[in-house]
Amino acid sequence: MSRLIDVENLTLQFDTDEGRITAVDDVSFSLDAGKIMGLVGESGSGKSVTAKSLMKLNPRNAVYGENTKITLHLDDGPVDVMSLQNDHEMKVVRGGSISLIFQEPMASFAPAISIGDQMIEQLLIHTSFSKSQAKEVSIEMLDRVGISDPSMRFSQYAFELSGGMRQRAMIAMALSTKPKLLIADEPTTALDVTIQAQVIDLMKDLVTEFGMGIIFITHDLGVIAQTADNVAVMYLGRLVEQGTVRDVIRSPAHPYTRGLLAALPTLDDIDAPLTPIPGDIPSPLERPSGCVYNTRCQEFIGPRCSAKVPVFSQIDAGHAAACHLYDRAGDAE
Amino acid sequence: MVQFLRFATLRAALAFFTLCLVSFIVFSLMEMVPGDCAERYLAFKNSQGAMISIADIEFERVRLGLHKPFLQRWATWLFNAFQGEFGDSCILRLNINQLLGQKIWLSIGICLGSLVLAYAIAIPVGIIAATSRNPFLNNGLRLVSYLGLALPNFLLALMVMLFSTVVFGNSLTGLFSPEFRDAPWNTAKVLDFLGHVWLPVFILGWSATAFAIQTVRALLSDEIGKLYVTAAAARGVSGRRLLMRYPARHALSPIINSLGFDLNRIFNELPIVALILTLTEAGSLLIEALARSNDQQLAGAIIFFLTGCIIAINFITDIVLALVDPRIRRSILG
Repeated sequence: MSRLIDVENLTLQFDTDEGRITAVDDVSFSLDAGKIMGLVGESGSGKSVTAKSLMKLNPRNAVYGENTKITLHLDDGPVDVMSLQNDHEMKVVRGGSISLIFQEPMASFAPAISIGDQMIEQLLIHTSFSKSQAKEVSIEMLDRVGISDPSMRFSQYAFELSGGMRQRAMIAMALSTKPKLLIADEPTTALDVTIQAQVIDLMKDLVTEFGMGIIFITHDLGVIAQTADNVAVMYLGRLVEQGTVRDVIRSPAHPYTRGLLAALPTLDDIDAPLTPIPGDIPSPLERPSGCVYNTRCQEFIGPRCSAKVPVFSQIDAGHAAACHLYDRAGDAE
Repeated sequence: MVQFLRFATLRAALAFFTLCLVSFIVFSLMEMVPGDCAERYLAFKNSQGAMISIADIEFERVRLGLHKPFLQRWATWLFNAFQGEFGDSCILRLNINQLLGQKIWLSIGICLGSLVLAYAIAIPVGIIAATSRNPFLNNGLRLVSYLGLALPNFLLALMVMLFSTVVFGNSLTGLFSPEFRDAPWNTAKVLDFLGHVWLPVFILGWSATAFAIQTVRALLSDEIGKLYVTAAAARGVSGRRLLMRYPARHALSPIINSLGFDLNRIFNELPIVALILTLTEAGSLLIEALARSNDQQLAGAIIFFLTGCIIAINFITDIVLALVDPRIRRSILG
């Protein structure tokens, strides 16, 4: 399995009127081709900002950390994403080798441009197709994602399609340039459960068929359990736990991951009370010192938690958590 | 196509109905003013020394058809109005068409000129204001457009006149130099006209521009923040193409919508500016007819023309909107 993308020490801050806000703090992860990585966390945890960083798509007031390094491994050599400067250079990560699909497909299609025109536009930017070839490929792609009567849908507008159909069209558009990496930002959150399952199956099929990697962003651990190979759990801009889906869901190591799993409703015992994580996610303006989770942690073990940022400790092979509970080196101090 | 024609016909019928309704309101207002045309004319004669009896007034009424019922007179007036025949001015005893003549077209021309000027400036400036991050440029534009919104047009007209009189010895008033006033149209007269008309167009366009800049800026900033723009950027669309094809294209519909509204504003401001700059066009004639001579026939005819114009522009913007915006187009075509 070949490496697709390496993200090292991704730090991203926003310059705002209230000062510099840290949105992503020293996040590192990797993804292999043909794998699905789930990026999980509550809203405001920095998942979407992390995803957009891979395409350098954050607003102009975004400031990347000095040590941030994002390397995309393509067939013709690695691409250093941080060093991409102008629009022309960035085409490779914007719709070329990386595609992004959004939670709300209605809002991500321009309302007054037909779906087909937007698909052709993207193909003309990234490939050497002629207009008629681009049209052919687009209709083929719409057909591939299971849209009936694709040539009619091609000339329609987003507002004329149903929710599930729009999401399929969105996926078709994202995949038409044959990207190596697909970033799916809550792609199923706005959908009915039945359609959600269809869309997830579709995405899994496409991973196998195209051999690409997917970063699947969601707050829904249930969806992750069905979909992903690996999981990274994010809280307030930091990764707190990483590992295979089986390890993280079956034996969560970080108190935050445990809290998320305990908060999931279960159908086995409908009388069981839900146990939400107490407290609210702190404002990014008041990031807690030490471990970012220490203000809500149920397993707080003393001043170390609020004083020292925990590093990742190995739990098992391929399973790690950033928590002082496992910080053997820290114990010795 | 058939549906589109049906839509256009429906809108046209609606516009026609609105015009009838407006004419009814105008006609009723004319009716409510005490004293009818016969009395007023004979009272005027009386002041010239003629002896007038009640019988004379009655005779005049019958001659003018004023004894007929209100609705019947309105229907006749409306019927004639749509044929472009407005009858005679009550006081001046002149055919209104002759009296208005080209003046009404001058007025409409001045207003449309101001509207075109306003948007020709506002669209590029609004786009720059919405996309630029330069605080000096943004605040400068804001200051200028607040000035435009806050400064009444008549005050601006007075200031320009005063300045020009003091500095150049020319008050810049009127639409024609004296030697061209009654001359037939030729190249020299057109040039003379253009040399005069820029000032009212500028003054009327001034606040309209300020207003339009704010509209364009607000609409575009709104669109720029939308997710579909980020989505397009994520597909590799960039630079001018991203701006023009996505947010600018989508802000166009509400801008077209605001055209009719802005023309209305300009029309409202025309008469007072016309009065100050002593323009010989219909706006000043309207003030004259309404305020001084109480000449309802004349005033009615002018208001009928102006509202007709506003209704026409709203009709046109409706049709254009349906052509450029698929959401509206599809809602018509079903």
